[in-house]
Amino acid sequence: MRYADFTPYDIILLLQGLGVTLALFIGTTLIGLAIGLLLAVVHHYRIPGCRPVIVVVTEALKNSPVLVQLFLVFFGIPAFLHIRMTPVEAATLTISLNTAAFAFVIFRSGIESIDRDQIEAAKVFGLNRSQILRLVIAPQATAFAVGPLVGILVNQLQVTSLISVIGVFDLTKIGNILNLRTLQPFIVWAVIGLIYYIAAKTLAHVGGRIEAALRKSVKWGGI
Amino acid sequence: MIVAENVEKRFGETLVLKRVNLRVEPGEVVTILGASGSGKSTLIRCINGLETLSGGKITVDGHDVSTKAGLVAARRASATVFQLFNLYPHMTALRNITLAPIEVLKLPKAEAEARARALLDKVGLAAHADAYPQQLSGGQRQRVGICRALAMQPRYLLLDEVTSALDPEMTGDVLRILAELAADGTTMVFVTHEIEFARHISSRIVFLEQGELIVDLPTAQFFAEDGGLAVPRIRQFLSKMKKD
Repeated sequence: MRYADFTPYDIILLLQGLGVTLALFIGTTLIGLAIGLLLAVVHHYRIPGCRPVIVVVTEALKNSPVLVQLFLVFFGIPAFLHIRMTPVEAATLTISLNTAAFAFVIFRSGIESIDRDQIEAAKVFGLNRSQILRLVIAPQATAFAVGPLVGILVNQLQVTSLISVIGVFDLTKIGNILNLRTLQPFIVWAVIGLIYYIAAKTLAHVGGRIEAALRKSVKWGGI
Repeated sequence: MIVAENVEKRFGETLVLKRVNLRVEPGEVVTILGASGSGKSTLIRCINGLETLSGGKITVDGHDVSTKAGLVAARRASATVFQLFNLYPHMTALRNITLAPIEVLKLPKAEAEARARALLDKVGLAAHADAYPQQLSGGQRQRVGICRALAMQPRYLLLDEVTSALDPEMTGDVLRILAELAADGTTMVFVTHEIEFARHISSRIVFLEQGELIVDLPTAQFFAEDGGLAVPRIRQFLSKMKKD
């Protein structure tokens, strides 16, 4: 067996890479959605001074290349603040914030899609802010947001491939390693691409199921 | 008792309510008449705290609506029915009605639902408890809106042009329910364009003209030649409404 041949162990390598990609994707998704939601709520309540800051930061994150953001965080922050940052930390921070920016926009429009009238009714009937947020706004905003969020997340899954550039051993990095060793780029990148494709399709499918379930349970025809 | 003293409301440069004084005693049905834009709905929205006053004072059973604690107590004492129903679209009729009793009055779910079903039955919607607002007609939605208000067992019912968005047949259904409530002694503040109906159920009628409350009379006197009809503006308003 030559050094350049494919080996059964390569499958384990690929699975490891996929594991890193998925773990990073899931982690950054959860953090990003939480931050995005928090920003949308803060934005909704017009907490003084917060609105312009949120809008400027999220616009910057949405309208600049993720790779540039990644370099800024990985090389820029350590140089500027004199702290150490591992590739995984930098990747997690960057993708989380990037996801948060898109999630913020979706949650914000979800909240804004709700008629002010209902919120007035809830106020008059004595519900407090958190009850209105939890019982009136959240269910409707969620139903509104699921479709667009799934679209964004499918995209963010592909975006995670960029983190291989700063040395995270994700699926794309494994692809790089296999490619250099075997010198079979067509096979290696086709396989890597197929794995991303399957992961993205699975995600879209699950998201579609959630959306369908929501539609079914909320027969009000609002989405 | 609802008391409004020298109430003023300003939207930017426009003075929408000018030193309005109004008292509503328990058991009364007070109708607020006036042309569109005369400030009728704004007055209701000041009473339930959806608008903050620019001047004057409103108390509901002694609770000042301009203070935080007062507003909570005032809102507990009254309930509002809206022109465009303002139901929660993601909740069934039943849940629309039980939401505030469960969350605000802390009633047990079973009790709140039993009360809601009884109310729905009273307005002829027993079969629609599990329907979503989207699946109901305008008149049915407004009847759910009335049930939602009544479920809070309010001392005062605030009705803001509750039939304006309904066709005549549906209007009849809703007015029949309101007439029953009036007959039961429910205290109501009623903003409407249904003059004949107002004449039928009101104990008092007040007339707003460009934000000023120009007449406040018992119903019979309001429609008497030497009472409300002696005021040229009211004579003009009533004859115009009759023609429409």
